[in-house]
Amino acid sequence: MGYVAIKGGGRAISGAAGVLEFLRTRQGESGQPLDVHTIHHQLSLLESRVLSEGGLYHPELAALAIKQSLGDTLEASFALRAYRSTRPRLVETPLLDTRDMRLIRRISASFKDIPGGQMLGPTTDYALRLLRFELIEEDRSAFQAFARSWLQEAPPADLPDSFPKVLDSLRQEGLLPPALPPRPLSQGGRGEQPFDITREPLIFPVPRSAALATMARAETGSLLAIAYSNMSGYGDVHPTVGELRVGYVPILLAHPVTGELVEAGEALITECEVIAMYEAGDDGAKPAFSVGYGACFGHNEVKAISMAVLDRALQKGVKHGASNPSEDPEFVLLHVDGIDSMGFASHYKMPHYVTFQSDMDRLRTTQKKLGERETS
Amino acid sequence: MTDIERRHWLRALTALPPETLAAVAGELDAGWAMTYKTRPQAGLGMLQLRDGALHEAYYLGEFPLAHCWLTLSGPDGESYQGAAQVMADDPDLARALAVLDAVLAHRLPGWERVSELVETGQAARAEEDRIRARILAATRVDFTLLSATEAGDDD
Repeated sequence: MGYVAIKGGGRAISGAAGVLEFLRTRQGESGQPLDVHTIHHQLSLLESRVLSEGGLYHPELAALAIKQSLGDTLEASFALRAYRSTRPRLVETPLLDTRDMRLIRRISASFKDIPGGQMLGPTTDYALRLLRFELIEEDRSAFQAFARSWLQEAPPADLPDSFPKVLDSLRQEGLLPPALPPRPLSQGGRGEQPFDITREPLIFPVPRSAALATMARAETGSLLAIAYSNMSGYGDVHPTVGELRVGYVPILLAHPVTGELVEAGEALITECEVIAMYEAGDDGAKPAFSVGYGACFGHNEVKAISMAVLDRALQKGVKHGASNPSEDPEFVLLHVDGIDSMGFASHYKMPHYVTFQSDMDRLRTTQKKLGERETS
Repeated sequence: MTDIERRHWLRALTALPPETLAAVAGELDAGWAMTYKTRPQAGLGMLQLRDGALHEAYYLGEFPLAHCWLTLSGPDGESYQGAAQVMADDPDLARALAVLDAVLAHRLPGWERVSELVETGQAARAEEDRIRARILAATRVDFTLLSATEAGDDD
């Protein structure tokens, strides 16, 4: 491929940036610049997508990325991921457990009476999908007063700090496969060390930890589409949501002086565990339900459920061979990253003058030869 | 002195405005010679979780992190260590928190002010915890009531 230098491109490019800024600000005197805190609070689910797809739990910068990208989730996630690539890695947490999450939502589709009870938390699951036209001219004082009055009216609560996992009780009954011990390094495993997709390329086969990490920062729509193919017939997962929880995971790190685990902060995450069809155990063990797992930064339940379905589908593909696209690790994991796929789609906008010229030349030659053959 | 354990100080203190922490730390570290075991630095941490289905370790993603580990040395030759690792982009915040950690842990002059900050921050955290508990309580599903009024099971 050849490249041709042209004049005036730089001016056009800076002009395009100016036009974008013009369109962002042309609301004029009645316009208000979007505040990142407003985005954080009022567009929290959009922020959640960018947090998880950017792979960096930084709500303030995710909100900024949304603002600067005019709400384009792919561009915003790209900006967040670009930012993270400029930062040094200082530490990695010890292996943390989501049993310690500070929950704001917890439901199960498997049992009504789960230990600790079901709490719907913030959800649109039961909302009518009808437009609330009153929000077009929302009353400012009512808006500002709602949170205060809600708090006054909400019942005081005496709840435990954490809740047991639904899957734990099923596992105690022997209905689930045993937890997987890490394969030691001496047997070709990775020991306790998970696969770091930010530092190692995906060369197949990859361990399950690589699949989980890849899907955790995958683009929501891509993950949903492939998971949906499995749900709609190109697969056989048939999941039941054992537990879906939304809450804050304390980020614990060892204090350099005392060695005690200290909370450096907390991250909002969504986590889903699905229970699927039972299957025969290995080496004559009793049959048990199969399970799938999904989790991501922020509040994004469709993503967590889709990931859990795909985790289960990929386990089947690895164990018995893939019968459907959603069971093929290479197909799934190489096509769900939004930054990758958006970049490839967008690159087609770049000049392909020489390659296209070559295509035209070949087509003309072919047409000419065909014409000559027909006339001879 | 606060009876809140040292491992909870950072969560409490980070409920307060960083400017407040910086101002108090700036006053309390005066007169001490400061050396760093780990210089104030901002970067990233990687969150490692155990998956809830098969209990395998994996990386969920990264988070901003600033850290600092310092020693305060007095004219008498005694030295005192403090450290902080905080989810933030701000190395100055990590440094301020490390100073406060050293002052309170070793009851250095001014520790009472740090103790008060920890108590204030702890109260703010407790309030946030109460709000979350109310979110759960306000949306708790009462299946017992449902089964008492409806004979059929819902799928």
